Amino acid sequence: MAHHNEDEGSIGTSMHGVTAREQVFSFSVQGEDDGPSSHTVGFDDPTAKFALPVDSEHRATAFKPFSFAKPHMRAFHLGWISFFTCFISTFAAAPLVPIIRDNLDLTKSDIGNAGVASVSGAIFSRLAMGAVCDLLGARYGTAFLLMLSAPTVFSMSFVSDAGGYLSVRFMIGFCLATFVSCQYWTSVMFNGKIIGLVNGCAGGWGDMGGGVTQLLMPMVFHVIKLAGATPFTAWRIAFFIPGFLQVIMGILVLTLGQDLPDGNLSTLQKRGEVSKDKFTKVFWYAVLNYRTYVLFLLYGFSMGIEMTINNVISEYFFDRFQLELHTAGMIAASFGMANFFARPLGGYASDISARFFGMRGRLWTLWILQTSGGIFCVWLGRATSLPIAILSMMLFSVGVQAACGAIFGIVPFVSRRSLGLISGLTGAGGNFGSGLTQLIFFSSSKFHAADGLSLMGIMGMIFTLLVAFIHFPQWGSMFFGPTSDEKKSKEEHYYAAEWTEEEKRQGLHEGSLKFAENSRSERGRKAASDGSSPSTPPENGNPAHV
Amino acid sequence: MAIKKLLFASLLICSMIQSSHGATKERLFTDLEKGALEITATPSRTGEGVVLAAGIDKLSITWKVSSTATKEPEFKTIKVKLCYAPISQVDRPWRKTENELFKDKSCPHKISSFSYDPTVKTAQSFDYTLERDIPTGTYYVRAYAVDAKDHEVAFGQSTNQDKTTNLFSVQAISGRHKSLDIASVCFSVFSVVALLVFFVNEKRKAKIEQSK
Repeated sequence: MAHHNEDEGSIGTSMHGVTAREQVFSFSVQGEDDGPSSHTVGFDDPTAKFALPVDSEHRATAFKPFSFAKPHMRAFHLGWISFFTCFISTFAAAPLVPIIRDNLDLTKSDIGNAGVASVSGAIFSRLAMGAVCDLLGARYGTAFLLMLSAPTVFSMSFVSDAGGYLSVRFMIGFCLATFVSCQYWTSVMFNGKIIGLVNGCAGGWGDMGGGVTQLLMPMVFHVIKLAGATPFTAWRIAFFIPGFLQVIMGILVLTLGQDLPDGNLSTLQKRGEVSKDKFTKVFWYAVLNYRTYVLFLLYGFSMGIEMTINNVISEYFFDRFQLELHTAGMIAASFGMANFFARPLGGYASDISARFFGMRGRLWTLWILQTSGGIFCVWLGRATSLPIAILSMMLFSVGVQAACGAIFGIVPFVSRRSLGLISGLTGAGGNFGSGLTQLIFFSSSKFHAADGLSLMGIMGMIFTLLVAFIHFPQWGSMFFGPTSDEKKSKEEHYYAAEWTEEEKRQGLHEGSLKFAENSRSERGRKAASDGSSPSTPPENGNPAHV
Repeated sequence: MAIKKLLFASLLICSMIQSSHGATKERLFTDLEKGALEITATPSRTGEGVVLAAGIDKLSITWKVSSTATKEPEFKTIKVKLCYAPISQVDRPWRKTENELFKDKSCPHKISSFSYDPTVKTAQSFDYTLERDIPTGTYYVRAYAVDAKDHEVAFGQSTNQDKTTNLFSVQAISGRHKSLDIASVCFSVFSVVALLVFFVNEKRKAKIEQSK
């Protein structure tokens, strides 16, 4: 079933599992491997001694969030908690800015620029992470990020001016690439039928870190002050907490985790045929597909706005409503914590609308969610009383986070061949949008923060109009139905168009065809009456959440 | 839904906090009696370009009620505060001067607060050591006379109306400590070394496995 490529694909082509709808297992395992940390199970023994039911590739077919069983659920928990820890570190400075700005004599521009820097590093590290995981496995990918960025978190104790502050926040931001390693890990551990839910939970719960940090850091700071430290020292000590968390998680990942269901990368022998695509081809088809850019921008104004808010909202409440530091932190935290249910909700809404209206339903759902997020953002900026501000912020958080979930309900259908890269690019778009909005609205004294919020909401709504431009010939778009052309209106045509004739002759596009068949559900209720769709249940549910 | 209940509860709580602030929102700085208190602040070190060190240097503050003060019978408490000069407010909206007293953020640092004794007519003075959480900046001193309802009624400041004279500069403590730096380096080294140890170890084990 796996195809052998003459050009052993370059590193990083597989982007395996960045959204994980891949059917093909990147590494085939044959095995008498009996390493100390692998299972003593033969490949051809399907009733392997796993705690969860597994498929033929030993990927779990059930998801039990309260279990820590080896290796699947353990990988899930290690993965999402690592990602969660990195979110804590990246946004740890935000709730402490009122103290830091006094210690380092920062101006509004300094603070804004540091905020931009904190999200920019991950644009690149997220793109590179797929390659790293291919090379080293998810365990070391995660552990490298955690343990090599821990020193950057500790180095906050050395910072004495705006430049130092900016550099440290920039370096800490690289660890947000744990998103990719987390999704990669769950994708090799869980079957495609449930991977949507698994990745959605991993992504949403990881994102919660941005909320938890708003609560955690002021609390830690307060405790350290009570123990006798002056404020300007206490905040530096407070940064040791995220640093410790990272080191501890890194060690846990290395000792408790396992790269693949059957063992670790280095103890397993990589035999068998590996199907890796050529990176240049994957890149080419991603770049040629205009929807890549639309998604890049759309995600920039959902996840991007979310990350910007993580950076500015605590300071905003502190300054505008004269609150205590930990009160502002509590309010800011509820923004990020809404991720726990809001993201899965968005994905779920996308799936439900697809059931009735197909892909057009997904697009409308996305537009509605993201636009309402924008409207509530404008309202938040206009709010002059605390209760209204909190109310609008909560509605805003649900709108924008659900939109993130909804976008990843659409991403898997944009391309089959370049899926991993497009998902990575969409994710990078989030960071880009965050950097951009912070730069424009929160880095200069041109606007008050309140106006910045409203203008950001308006900009978000304008860019959300781009959803109307996503058109699938086989399913239509927001305002147009599917094309009437007989050939082009077939899903197979869309997905097979990513392969050249030569490749088609080699049968390399088989996976895409299978996917096309399964994706017929995106026609909505018409798929049932179509008669031509097979009865195999399509892979619904939400794939990767960034 | 639980969320609706939570939202409603938070709305209630917040509106209660809101209403408790309501009474103070309307009072304006321009309503206060200017120059009712005469106050001077002399730094312990003076001179051209001298920057005071937070936590170390002192201010000697002398104040008395001006003979022109009309609201003097209402004075109950004197609150002395450290305020930012305009130059330290540039590009820092969180230090902005606002007319509404409730919103004004130009004088966040409390120096001292004591009850007003109307029988003492002469100038009184006290020393103030700059606190260790004073940020770097340029400052002056202002004293508010507060009445029995805890509302400001008059003020006096150590600088002129435009806040250009008698200003002094303070340099904040760095907040850094050698012990903190050392701890930071130790933990960082531990993190990197631990990772390398695991990595090398596992590679070695894999090589042994393969050679078997």
